[in-house]
Amino acid sequence: MMATSAARVFIVITGFFALCGAGVLLSLIAPRQRQGSVLAVAGCLAAAALILAGSATLILGENFRQPLWSLPNLGTMTISLDQLSAVFLLVTGLVLFPASIFAGSQLKRRSSPTGRVFTVLLLALYAAIGLIFISGDAFLFLLAWEAMSIFSYLLIVFFRKQNNDASGAGYLFLAMGEAGTLAAVLGFLLLGVNAGSLDFAAIHAAAPGFGPGVRWAVFLLSFFGFGVKAGLAPVNFWLPRAYAAASRAFVPVLAGATLNLGLYGLLRVNAGLMPATGSGPGLIALIAGTITALVGILYATTENDLKVILAHSSIENVGIVVTGFGAGMIFVGTDHPVPAAIAFVAALYHLVNHSLFKTLLFIGAGEVESQTGTRDLNKLGGLIKWMPMASLAFLVGTLSISALPPLNGFVSEWLILQTMLRSAELSSAGVKLAFSLAGAGLALTAALAVTCFVKVFAMGFLGMRRRDENPRVVEAKSGTLVPMFLLGALCLGLGLLPTYVIPALGPAVRPLAGASATDALVPPFFTSSPAHNTLPPAFVQDFQGLGAQVGQNLLPGRGLVVLHRGGAENPVIFAMSPFYMAIILVILLLATYVVIRIWLTRGRSLARRKRWDGGVRRLLPEMTYTATGFSNPVRVIFDAVFRPTAVEDTSESVTRHFRTAIRRERERTYLVDRLVFYPVRAVLMRIARTLARLHQGRLNTYAAYVLAALLLMLLGFLVFQSSW
Amino acid sequence: MALLLKEQIDKRWPDQAKCTCTGGPHLYEITCARETLAELCGWLFIDMRLKFATLVVEEASREWRLRYIFYGGAGAVWVHVLASSPCSEESFPSIVESVHAADWHEREAEDMFGLTFAGHPRLGDFILHDDAWQENVQPMRHHFDPQMAIRFRKPAADWRPHRIVQEEGAFVMPVGPKFSGATESVHFLLETVGEDVIRFTPRLFYKWRAIEKLAEAKPAGRVLLLAERFAATTAFAHGLAYCQAVERICGAEVPPRAAALRIFLAELERLRQHAGAIQEICESTALVVAASGAGIVEEDLLRISGELTGHRYLFGMLAPGGLLVDLPDLACQRALRGSQQVLRQLEKLEARLRVSSSFLDRLEEVGLVAHQVATAYGLLGPVARASADAHDLRREHPYSGYEKFQFEVPSEEEGDGYARLRVLFAECRQSVRIMEQALDTVAGGSVCRSFPFRAGAALGWAEAPRGATFHWVRLDDQGYIDRYHVTAPSFANWHGFHAAVENFAFQDFPIMLASFDLSVSEADR
Amino acid sequence: MSHWVFNGIRTGIKTSAYPRRPETAAGVTPGLPRGRKLDAGEAKALMDTCPAEVFRLEDGRVLADVRRCIHCYRCMRIAPHPALWEQSYEWALQPGRETGFVSAFKKSINICVVDAGDCGSCLNEVRQLNNPYYNIHRLGFFITPTPRHADVLLVVGPVTDHMSLALQKVYNAMPTPKLVVAVGVCALSGGVFAESFACAGGVTDVLPIDVEVPGNPPPPLAIIHGLLVATGRKAPVDMPATPYQSGGSGP
Ligand code: SF4
Repeated sequence: MMATSAARVFIVITGFFALCGAGVLLSLIAPRQRQGSVLAVAGCLAAAALILAGSATLILGENFRQPLWSLPNLGTMTISLDQLSAVFLLVTGLVLFPASIFAGSQLKRRSSPTGRVFTVLLLALYAAIGLIFISGDAFLFLLAWEAMSIFSYLLIVFFRKQNNDASGAGYLFLAMGEAGTLAAVLGFLLLGVNAGSLDFAAIHAAAPGFGPGVRWAVFLLSFFGFGVKAGLAPVNFWLPRAYAAASRAFVPVLAGATLNLGLYGLLRVNAGLMPATGSGPGLIALIAGTITALVGILYATTENDLKVILAHSSIENVGIVVTGFGAGMIFVGTDHPVPAAIAFVAALYHLVNHSLFKTLLFIGAGEVESQTGTRDLNKLGGLIKWMPMASLAFLVGTLSISALPPLNGFVSEWLILQTMLRSAELSSAGVKLAFSLAGAGLALTAALAVTCFVKVFAMGFLGMRRRDENPRVVEAKSGTLVPMFLLGALCLGLGLLPTYVIPALGPAVRPLAGASATDALVPPFFTSSPAHNTLPPAFVQDFQGLGAQVGQNLLPGRGLVVLHRGGAENPVIFAMSPFYMAIILVILLLATYVVIRIWLTRGRSLARRKRWDGGVRRLLPEMTYTATGFSNPVRVIFDAVFRPTAVEDTSESVTRHFRTAIRRERERTYLVDRLVFYPVRAVLMRIARTLARLHQGRLNTYAAYVLAALLLMLLGFLVFQSSW
Repeated sequence: MALLLKEQIDKRWPDQAKCTCTGGPHLYEITCARETLAELCGWLFIDMRLKFATLVVEEASREWRLRYIFYGGAGAVWVHVLASSPCSEESFPSIVESVHAADWHEREAEDMFGLTFAGHPRLGDFILHDDAWQENVQPMRHHFDPQMAIRFRKPAADWRPHRIVQEEGAFVMPVGPKFSGATESVHFLLETVGEDVIRFTPRLFYKWRAIEKLAEAKPAGRVLLLAERFAATTAFAHGLAYCQAVERICGAEVPPRAAALRIFLAELERLRQHAGAIQEICESTALVVAASGAGIVEEDLLRISGELTGHRYLFGMLAPGGLLVDLPDLACQRALRGSQQVLRQLEKLEARLRVSSSFLDRLEEVGLVAHQVATAYGLLGPVARASADAHDLRREHPYSGYEKFQFEVPSEEEGDGYARLRVLFAECRQSVRIMEQALDTVAGGSVCRSFPFRAGAALGWAEAPRGATFHWVRLDDQGYIDRYHVTAPSFANWHGFHAAVENFAFQDFPIMLASFDLSVSEADR
Repeated sequence: MSHWVFNGIRTGIKTSAYPRRPETAAGVTPGLPRGRKLDAGEAKALMDTCPAEVFRLEDGRVLADVRRCIHCYRCMRIAPHPALWEQSYEWALQPGRETGFVSAFKKSINICVVDAGDCGSCLNEVRQLNNPYYNIHRLGFFITPTPRHADVLLVVGPVTDHMSLALQKVYNAMPTPKLVVAVGVCALSGGVFAESFACAGGVTDVLPIDVEVPGNPPPPLAIIHGLLVATGRKAPVDMPATPYQSGGSGP
């Protein structure tokens, strides 16, 4: 039985790669104007295969291993699909499905000669991403990783002709990615050397025997290596540049799927292969995550370029996720399995959520850009009148990312904040302090995120249209609307039904934390649930009084209430039900509507008047708040700390007293750039000058160097291994 | 100095065709060719340190006559620079390069007559709003047909607010014309990128009633009603300036009693207007008790005025040739006692304000006007005096017998809101002092001497509470008005206000506005 | 800062007794002319003196249309047979009939003040309403900056061409039920500015008026009377059926 289901999963996985390959082949033979369809169909099918494989693994609850072939001295290359991989496969599939539709529709819109290359590269990237998640050993993992890096790089610089930033940004992306890869390779090498094998299962088995020096080295190397990919401060300066440079069709994939790889690597190494034993590494992750979140959201709030805002907001969300990971690692290291499970589940939940709403938002942003020709919020405005459906879907995305109930961002951020509070159980005062500061930082982040996305939606979609010369804007086509609404529905679903999401994520974190998050968070209130009898009857009685049983005979599962139980004197530590909340929300809204429309205005005529404008003769778009103006208070407050801009004032006058212009230039400098990137770049330039002979100035040559370095490393390992 | 000016001009511009100077010792008329106009005006304004009063445009049957009026300087002279051109030639050189104070005057002439001023950086969209009127409406031209102007309304479709701030995300915050509680209608364009306001531009003339056009072809006595009523918080000062212009044309003498009572009433009005200004400043800082205290004082003075003259704003007192009605000495004494009492209240209020740090914090260094800015923009009245520009027509060009009075012209150095407040208080003291002297010296006799009208033109001036006001009147021999041109102090002060107000926090704006004591009706006319 | 508190208390109560009792202080009103009995020749002289065409002759009586008076005092001070003068302040008229708006918000009325080109004096008198002497808050009147909250639109000024759109916008922005109170002769008929091409001849040219308060400017007490009339708490002066011509002997 098990064997057959495993075989089926294997077939699905093979199908995924086959579909990617078939897509590539089809693209090579299909005519130029068909590339969009090829991409959409092949991408969707491949994504569906991923969804199928991921969800099947989750439902079956079985891990699955398939050795491929043995390499001399490197061990066996293995495909392994455990619950954690399954979660990542599933979310990647969920993201790639709509992203492929959108990318296909974008290709159709302008059938460019490069469409074929784009399709081939994108499908190859899909395959690489899929391979990373199912790699069962470090060698396969790193090979796939390297392939992913190169495909992504090529996809970023793909539109170099249209976008001059692209080559520089792509170069930076590749360089940083490779620096990260080198660190990761070293980390794996250390693991491999100490475990005597590159196989993940073997490393995991050997991990308890590692000394503290090895642990720290592996942690720091992998934290840096994967942190670069994930966009952790301070090594994330490539990210906004790369996102801004990447094409509209590609950036949803970049944000929704590629970003997760770094987080997967972090989690796989530091929680999967080598569970933490002290609170040190976790603390570093916690602090780095919080700082990343704050810096990310601050820059997101003060930026005006839609894509750059979303990029900085991705940094913020990665920060939140890593904060959750860090909390989990601390709980694991201090032997608190249940809070650890909750923290990991919350972080994973947020990761999933972020992939969904960020893909949604990037698709929306791409649609806006392709129609209006600009991403500058100071020049947009009033789009809701022209593209109401797309605006509605975008609104769902902004509400989700602002963590407003009943959408998904709320659930995961709420869980992470609740996790922070569980630090009360820890003994070390220093760690507690770090937790409380991190909690405060995340709360501030959440508040700023609302500000940021109020700005995005209000300035971009509400109000007046700011530029008359903009091209005509019309409602988005189905190629955009379908993906957006799919993702919007997922956001809503994940927001309403955490009691079904958590049990799905629970098995994935169980091996990481050693406890079941499902049991800790989703009590089996429904009597139809088999686990129902494990709850104390008095407890169930109390909650039945509150309505926790509602829906028990209609719905499968454990209930609709997320609840974390404590000890005797404190039976409920936290609880919520977004589902009930949503019902109450709907009832209140309806009631308000009824009260206002039917009762209060009964017998009265309802007058609609234009907005009050002070009696001015013409209210023009330049008389309304701009995006810069909206976020200026935030900038002013944080100016002292972050100095995000360098201001230079000049004023011009004629005939002494006539002012003709007051100019104020603001040179944006990114904190991380100032502190890390520019100094590092200066050092590197000096090194580069000395290595001028090696440095040909060709990017691809550079990539080849890195690849060569990678192979050399493996070779070194090989030699080391055989001599041992 | 008197001879000096003529000599200097003859020396500098020996070519009689370019520049001839006649008259003296108090009033010079310099006829000036167009090419020397800017140079001459600049020389008068900058080198001779004269102040610019006004630009009077007159459309004679065959030519344009422009009269640039300067005054003051070391010899307390009036200098009228005359320039003319045939009717077909509608362009004059602009003098704003050196006489910045003439900026708005030239814009007004451009809007009202369709003249252009070559070299002026910004003409148009001034009195006649471009988003309300079509091009080529020139209301002050003789042939102007209001029916046509109104029937063929075609405002500029592409009107945009004038912006000079160039920064990413800069926008214009429109305020008004209807804003705040009970305020005069005026429109502000605040250029900002959020938080602080970088630049401020007022859009005046929402209240433009075209009184100068309205006055044309009306008897002089009727136009007095307009002079009193176009800006009635300082009705008496404007009426007085107008009456003096008419009296000067006709060579009429004002009986001494009327002259003294005119001064008494003018100072009563100044006291009342300053009390109102102080009240507004207190209110703008939300200091409620002080605002109430000043409000009580203002109402007291309104009542004193009402009791003395029948009207709370002193309407119906003036007549060309004197006063419409005599005021009993006893009533005047009562009014004086009342005013002295009010002054004591004001002094107490000032003493209290001087120690209220939270109040002072909001006024100090707010709306700073440097001395050079005050002179370049030709600021007037208490606003100029608070920037060490201590000019006062009562002292330099005395009228109605002010030369016989002892009083000081208070001035301050700092040029901020607090300096302006101190000047207001100090002037209140001086006003009561003048009122006392007026009643001490008032003679008996009639208060009005009638006189026959003659044709001619003259400038009447008075130091209104907000600063110097100039009324140019041209009468025909029947006593009907040919041309009436009013230049009120707020016109100059609004111009200066928008230069003084730059880079400020939005919440300071009401305080700046209050401390300038600007009247919109005065500027709009 | 505590001295302000004591100072405020020490000032005592200054507030007018009106509308409970008449205000008796001097100088609170400029008064208004009344008609009188004059023969035709005398009446003509009086009518010629008045620049605002206030007087007209009917059945041997000179009637005064006080809505037009601009307070130039010429009828009293230079006419050979001077008009009579009444130092009252209850001047508000209601040109139409009852408004029906009154019962709901009698005691809390928000007023939006629009300056449609006034000379500054009407507005200054409106500003005095918040002065401790008059303090309209005690009567439940509040001046609000936005038309959105306003029940009463108080207009001063002759409605200049440039302000007429703004005035209409304010009116349209107000919720119903709403009232328009025109304050001052300019708002009623244009006053001295009526002939100007840049002015309408008063608010009627733009909006329907519910309550008229004559005077140039009307004193604060007259404006209060106008507001009380608007809210149905005081009776309007009955005009023009029986204007100010009754009574009247020579001075
Ligand atoms: S005061 Fe003047 S306007 Fe009023 S009635 Fe008398 S003459 Fe006419």
